[in-house]
Amino acid sequence: MLTSVFIAVVSLALFGMAAFTLWWQMHAWRTPEVLASTRFSSPDGGEQLSFSLLLPARHEQAVLDHTIQRLLESSHAAFEIIVIVGHDDPETTAVAEAAAARDPRVRVVVDTHEKKNKPKAMNTALPYCRGDVVGVFDAEDQVHPELLAHVEHAFRSTGADVVQGGVQLINFHSSWYSLRNCLEYFFWFRSRLHLHAQKGFIPLGGNTVFVRTDVLRAAGGWDPHCLAEDCDLGVRLSSAGKKVVVAYDSDMVTREETPGSLVSLLKQRTRWNQGFLQVYRKKDWKQLPTLRQRMLARYTLMTPFLQAFSGVVIPLNVAVAIFLDVPVGVAFITFLPAVTALVTFVFEVVGLHDFGKQYGLRVRLVHYLKLIAGGPFYQLLLAGAAIRAVWREQRGRSDWELTRHVGAHLDTADVRTREDVAA
Amino acid sequence: MTSTLEPVTAPRIPAQRRPAPPAATGRALPPRRLRSSRPDLLLCGVLLLAILVVQGWNISAYPAFSDDEGTYLAQAWAVQEGKGLAHYTYWYDHPPLGWIQLAVLTWIPAMLSPESMTVGTMRAVMLLISGISAVLVYVLGRRLALPRWAAGLGMALFGLSPLSVVLQREIFLDNLAVMWTLLAFTLAASPSRHLWHHFGAGMAAATAVLTKETMLLVLPALFVTAWRHSHRDTRKFALTGAVTACALIGFSYPLFALLKGELLPGAGHVSLWDGVKYQMTRPGSGFILDQGSGSWNVLQSWLYYDRILPLGGLAGALLLLATWRWSVTARALAGPALAVAVLAALALRPDGYLPAMYVIQALPFLALVLAGGAASVAHAVLRRGRSEREKRAAVYGRYALAGALALAACAYVGPRWYDGTRIAVTVDANAPYEAASRWMAEQVPDPARTRVLVDDAMWLDLVHAGYEPGLGVIWFYKADLDPAVTRTMPGGWRDIDYVVASPTVRRDAEDLPNVKAAIEHSRPVAVFGTGEDRIEIREVATAGGAR
Repeated sequence: MLTSVFIAVVSLALFGMAAFTLWWQMHAWRTPEVLASTRFSSPDGGEQLSFSLLLPARHEQAVLDHTIQRLLESSHAAFEIIVIVGHDDPETTAVAEAAAARDPRVRVVVDTHEKKNKPKAMNTALPYCRGDVVGVFDAEDQVHPELLAHVEHAFRSTGADVVQGGVQLINFHSSWYSLRNCLEYFFWFRSRLHLHAQKGFIPLGGNTVFVRTDVLRAAGGWDPHCLAEDCDLGVRLSSAGKKVVVAYDSDMVTREETPGSLVSLLKQRTRWNQGFLQVYRKKDWKQLPTLRQRMLARYTLMTPFLQAFSGVVIPLNVAVAIFLDVPVGVAFITFLPAVTALVTFVFEVVGLHDFGKQYGLRVRLVHYLKLIAGGPFYQLLLAGAAIRAVWREQRGRSDWELTRHVGAHLDTADVRTREDVAA
Repeated sequence: MTSTLEPVTAPRIPAQRRPAPPAATGRALPPRRLRSSRPDLLLCGVLLLAILVVQGWNISAYPAFSDDEGTYLAQAWAVQEGKGLAHYTYWYDHPPLGWIQLAVLTWIPAMLSPESMTVGTMRAVMLLISGISAVLVYVLGRRLALPRWAAGLGMALFGLSPLSVVLQREIFLDNLAVMWTLLAFTLAASPSRHLWHHFGAGMAAATAVLTKETMLLVLPALFVTAWRHSHRDTRKFALTGAVTACALIGFSYPLFALLKGELLPGAGHVSLWDGVKYQMTRPGSGFILDQGSGSWNVLQSWLYYDRILPLGGLAGALLLLATWRWSVTARALAGPALAVAVLAALALRPDGYLPAMYVIQALPFLALVLAGGAASVAHAVLRRGRSEREKRAAVYGRYALAGALALAACAYVGPRWYDGTRIAVTVDANAPYEAASRWMAEQVPDPARTRVLVDDAMWLDLVHAGYEPGLGVIWFYKADLDPAVTRTMPGGWRDIDYVVASPTVRRDAEDLPNVKAAIEHSRPVAVFGTGEDRIEIREVATAGGAR
């Protein structure tokens, strides 16, 4: 009897979690109207704002020049690029200086911190920004030339303080985990973030994020001690009532690549999870005005851990239902979380199809199979990263484990992938 | 699940609601909010009241109790009493969700007064189901872009046709399944085209199928409706969601069998496999248009009550399918028309099994396509080819023609429906049943130690009279077909004290040796009613002897 009650309670809790996550994940596709509202509206021409684009680069001489060139192709009239390099990184500095010599819109700022990380680098550059809006990109990003014009329009037409553009991992064909990784980004930027913007609580992404310079300065820039400074900034700004707008257009997203190996993905995920934990413990989100917002904040920041937990418990639960002698009613309840997980699975498959359509990529049967077969293993990876994050946070280790990029999303950099990419 | 729809927070994003890009389907737009439309509420309310009065008046006395009503209600009683899914072994004849719902619906009245758990009394709960279904027909009609009067016509046809009145009064699983199917269609045609509405449509459809498995037949029509009412940008998510929801909930039935270890056949237990096999291999009842075949008789029994809804609906479906290319109404009603077409095609199988309840699941669709056909005709008469400069006389002519058509229809339908309705609200077809069950309750000296064969409809009455459920008062065919019962009857017919020989018992006894023998070795001690419909209480010759 006690076992039955216990199992039922755990199952219902898991079901609730999974159902809410699914509900939010599917936000953008709720109605055609919601989907239409997630897009950038077309700019009307009048450009009044100027941009300062921060480009922190560390040991990224291979991709940096390409990124700067792409950024310079932007159609917007008023922007500057501030490349931030380390004083101990002569190779990247050389690439940056060469670009600055070619084009007056490029400037180089040298970060001299002894222990380096991304928020420190960006805080170093913040005083040098001359634009009305600060934008952040990563050194390996592919940015659409029309993006700035659209962002400016979003700022002016909505009166926003922050505009978050879409970021999309593209190299889904590289490996089984990059497939899932791409899809995670797809659901996050395509759908879930819009819900957060609407609810007034949003963990921002690490790049393609634009903040009004005065707002950013008033907020004191980025938190140099936080491992997820992007998330933290979003939480602080939205908790202070700043207005955040998210816009996603498949041809306007910033294209990125997945981490090059499972280990680096694990490290990246550990860093994010630990960062989320830190943000949770900083308690800025407690200033949110309504209980529902605070619950959403609490839940979102805990998600990696809940996810890890449910990834382990759901299969266990089903096993219990099948092998232990529990009443049929209870057995049914134990299946609820698994059913929700299945629904999520199905929507992921549809999402992959939509992803392929949106980006003109040929998704083959084998990719769908990989997506399905890889699901449980990806869960394991997420669980591992979550446990590792808690472990590191407990031990007080909060140094950066940077992700290495090989440029798999650039058509020219990796010939091997070209056959999979239609046009 | 808490709705996260309404944004409650301080920072709002004004540019978040943007109209969806128009899809090129050219569908007629249904009204956005029915709930706040006074004429709709009024019309729907008046019709609902009429339907409830006509269906509710005399509900327990007409039509005659059907065996199936007794079966399902008795099983609902077993669920309430905590005896499992049936008081005899549940053998996967139908998915159990139907009578589980019945158990829930009758829970409170049965708690207040246990004796009320009989077919005659509990028919009242079917009123609730009919009412909900009728309202759903109206809402669905409006969502399928029917004008107000046509939606009202559909609702009236569905709820007031004498055929509907008779069938919807009875405690049939089909009526519950129809309600869920209508809910599924209504959700699939949701004007907001919400992902979770489509998901809900899938869930409701699965519930309908688990209530009565024949609802599987209308799922394609539901899919068409959901397709037509989704937007191309979100369609793949909406439809996949609906199909997934339907499939997952549908799979709970085999899962249930699996958990009980009864999925596949094996020695010493029933199985889902055997249940499905039984249903799929039921002997056919002949071709429906073959005079004298079983199916033909079933068809005649429907047409006896009403010809307008079944035949008119069929004609309406044909009209809509034929005018598909020109008529907006025809395209809007594609789902119901397809449902009618599929159900009609299946009824026309050369040698299929056609149960008497088959038509129940077609009633709402027949009503909707007939109303849609009427709307189509009205549109053609009043609007087709009409220009701004049309002469006043011609316009009057159009209205006169429409009025004449409407009058003719009323003149044709009125007397027929009046007769049917008058019978339904006045005739007492169940007096012999009531009298027989009273006799059994009052004249038999020791009910608790008496064994009696009855049909399913009277079974609960005798349980309340003090007979032992299952082995004391016995569903007559169990005396031959259920090993758990025959085991307790080593002497065959000699172990039976009474047979309540209703028409059903006499008819089926031909194939049931024990029942037949018990009837042959008994003499009537009381007879109620006359002729074919009489009910005899027969005392078996050796009663009180070899026990």
